[in-house]
This record gives sequence, C-alpha cells and structure tokens, in this order.
Amino acid sequence: MVAEGPTIVPAWFKNISQKAQTFFSIALGKKLPPSNPTREALNTYANVAGIETGYGYFAPNVPGGYRLVFELHYPDGRVEYALPSVKSEAAGLRIADLLENIGRTPHDSMREILVKTLAQSVWREHPDVESIRAILGSVTLPSVREFEHGNRESYEFLYAYDFSLMNQPAKPRDR
Amino acid sequence: METFRKRLLEFLFPPETDHYLAILRVGLGVEVTLYSLSLRNDWIYLLSGTVRQLAEALLSLESHFIPRLGWFTALAGQVEVDENRLLFAAWAFLLVAGCGLLIGLFSRVSAIVAWFLHLCTAKSGGFASYGMDNFVTIGLFYLMLSPLPDRFSLDWRLRDLRAKDPQFLGFWRRVLQLHLCVVYFFSGLAKCLGSGWWNGSSVWRALIRPPFNVIDPEILVRWKNLFPLAGILICVLEFGYPFGIWSSRTRTIWLFSVCAMHVAIAVTMGMYLFSLVMIVLNLAAFAPGGFRAQRKQIGLQPGTAGA
Repeated sequence: MVAEGPTIVPAWFKNISQKAQTFFSIALGKKLPPSNPTREALNTYANVAGIETGYGYFAPNVPGGYRLVFELHYPDGRVEYALPSVKSEAAGLRIADLLENIGRTPHDSMREILVKTLAQSVWREHPDVESIRAILGSVTLPSVREFEHGNRESYEFLYAYDFSLMNQPAKPRDR
Repeated sequence: METFRKRLLEFLFPPETDHYLAILRVGLGVEVTLYSLSLRNDWIYLLSGTVRQLAEALLSLESHFIPRLGWFTALAGQVEVDENRLLFAAWAFLLVAGCGLLIGLFSRVSAIVAWFLHLCTAKSGGFASYGMDNFVTIGLFYLMLSPLPDRFSLDWRLRDLRAKDPQFLGFWRRVLQLHLCVVYFFSGLAKCLGSGWWNGSSVWRALIRPPFNVIDPEILVRWKNLFPLAGILICVLEFGYPFGIWSSRTRTIWLFSVCAMHVAIAVTMGMYLFSLVMIVLNLAAFAPGGFRAQRKQIGLQPGTAGA
C-alpha cells in the first residue's frame, strides 16, 4: 500500500516499501509460474485460512466508489433508467463490492463481461427493451465544507457499453 | 536456550478452558445462520452464471485446489442436475451447518461443512465478497481445527462426547489472539498513513459513501467536530490493539472499546454481519478468563461436564 498508494509517508520510504514488496512477493511465491506446486500450495493455504488479503480496510483513505446506471431503450423510443438491484441489504453490500471490482479492474474485457452480466439481469426484468446502455461512473464525495455549501456527491463518466439485445439474447440460465 | 524453549511452549500452549471455544462456536453459528438467511433471496443471483465462472477462472490462476462451487456444478452437470438446484442445496447445507454450530450438534462436522461451503461461496462469488467473508473464513478455519466439542454443546451434554486433544485449547486461542493483533495492527497502521483519518474526512466519507450511508448526511454534518476525534480514536484503537489488549491493566477497556467501535460500525454503516464476526472473534480471543493460567482443566472423561 505504501509502495503504490497515496500516503503521508515521505517519498524515500516508498522506495524501501517497493523493495520490501518485491521481497515478500518472492517469499510468498508470487514470482513463480502459476503452475508451480510451491506457489499453488502457498496460495491454497492462504485462501483456505482466509489470510490471502491485507487488512487495510478503508485505508489509507476512503475511496469514492462507483455507480453503474442502465439506460433502457424501448422500441417506441422511450428511455428508462435502472440500477443493479438486489432484494436484501446484505446483497446490496456485495453489489457495491462488485462495482468496486468493475471500476478498478485494469482489464477492459473483464469489465465488459461483468457489466454485460449485470445488464443481462436487468434485461430479464425488462424483457421488452430493445437495447441497453450501461454507464459506469466514479462517485466523488463532497467534503464536509462542500456539503455545507450545498454540494452533493457527483459522478464522473468512466465507461459506457451498448448492448443490443435483439441480436444477442441472453441465455435463460445466465444472469 | 532451554529456558527460551520452555517459555515459548508456555506461551503457545497456555492452560485454557473451553469457554472461548463456546463463544467462537455459538458466535460463528449465529453468523453463518444470519449470513445464509440474509442472502436467501439473492443467493442464486450472486452465485450463478458468468460472474461466478469468471471469478473461478481467476481463482485457478492462483491455485486449482482452492475450494469453489464450480467443482460441484461440474459434477452436477454430469448427472444433469440443474445449477440452481445445486446452489440451493449448498445454501441449505450451509444454513444447517450454521444451526448445528449454534446448538453444538455434530460440532466438528458442522464446523468443517460451514467452513468449506462458506469458503466455496466466498471464492466463487469473489467479485462480490468483502472483508466479512475473510473473517468468517478465519474464524471457521480455527474453529474447525480446535478441540471440539465444548462443554456447552449438545454433543457434550446429550451425546457425552469429549474433545480428544484438550491440550490444544490454549494453542488455538493463542493463534487467534496473535492473528487479531496482526489484523488490527496493520489495519491501524494503514489508516495512520492516510491524512483522512487524522483530520476526520475519512470518517465523514465512510459514513456518507453508498451503500454505507445509513444516516442522513444532514444529521451527520451537525457532528462534524467529532470526526477528527473519531478518526484518531479509531487509529489509536487499531494500531494500539496488540499493546492495549495484551496488557492485563488495559485489556478490559480495550476489548470494550473495540467491541463498541464495531457496534458503532454496524449501526452507522449497516455492516451488521461484519461487526458481528469481529465482535465474536474479539470476545473469543480476549474475553475475561483466557489469561488466568491456573484455570481448572476441563474433564476428559464423560460425566465431568461440570469440571
């Protein structure tokens, strides 16, 4: 985190952190080929014991988050908007995490697959739409002072995906 | 050298009762049960289809031996069992395992099943899993390896079952204690490195950030002067956890403060399951009783439940 993220530590310490990161990556087998048995064994143990991730929740600072909006285009020209929806608050926390993963992934194809999967679930709820535009944006939270001056959370456009469902119907078993 | 070895063994294998194990078992039983019930309507949605397959494909890059639901769906596909039915069966077994832990019936089997199925769902739903899943995995992993059953379980009272290796009671509690110290220390350290926790902006942002914006910001903003204090307090509590919780003079106040912090997180951010598992782990690790070295050892034979 120190090596990569914006923290209050001085720049010279980041170099040390980067070296430490490299050292631990080697020690934990991260530099070995994916099929290497040692790497697989270490990764398996870390995952089954729940120790594969760090513990820097909401650290060093709290990120803004992401929002995904679906623009539903009907054959008669009507346009409606929908958000990814779930039935429980517990699942809502998970959808927020899913959006974090969609927003943060550096892989365009993975982002597209995840967005498309969510779009398909929206389409099943609105089967008569002609096409769906999925718009992903990052959320900018106001500071306390900005909030007191009437500013509220704002959104910055990141990506948009158009899905034409007439040509590519979603499979019934797919999400 | 001999003295060091003796001290190390005394540290790692302190005399211990099974009270903490009962807290861990019942607490994780409640956690797993509520986890299953809270996701019952979205279970299939979160764990079926492309997102799960993508998560499992990425998991295979780490290791092919990490448990996942895909193992079962592949098997089910060969005998033409519908994926949704299989996912429902996994949900039902997880719920039963949670209830088994709660009452202490078939404690060991329940712990193993709960750990395995929860791990499968957390890994297969990797894109939609968060910190709570990690801590449930950690708790169930230690519970599964601990000397079950404890004296408050139905296994002990009705089936006259006793733990085979009670000498490991102290060891597994010690491991849990050390693990929590590492967790809070690094969580606190990471927060200390960000300016937002010192000036209170991170507290504000955490409370107004969707989907954690349970309290209306118009109400929150009236308390703005408390945010820097709250941020620093969180940093001190987490970063100072290994020191505060280990000292007998500050343990009670530290444990109470950390649990209060998690209650506050549950109420103000809606993270009930996350807070519950953290409180359970803290109480299991550090609730009073664990450090009294001269506690009576539990009885090894049936009929000594009151020992």
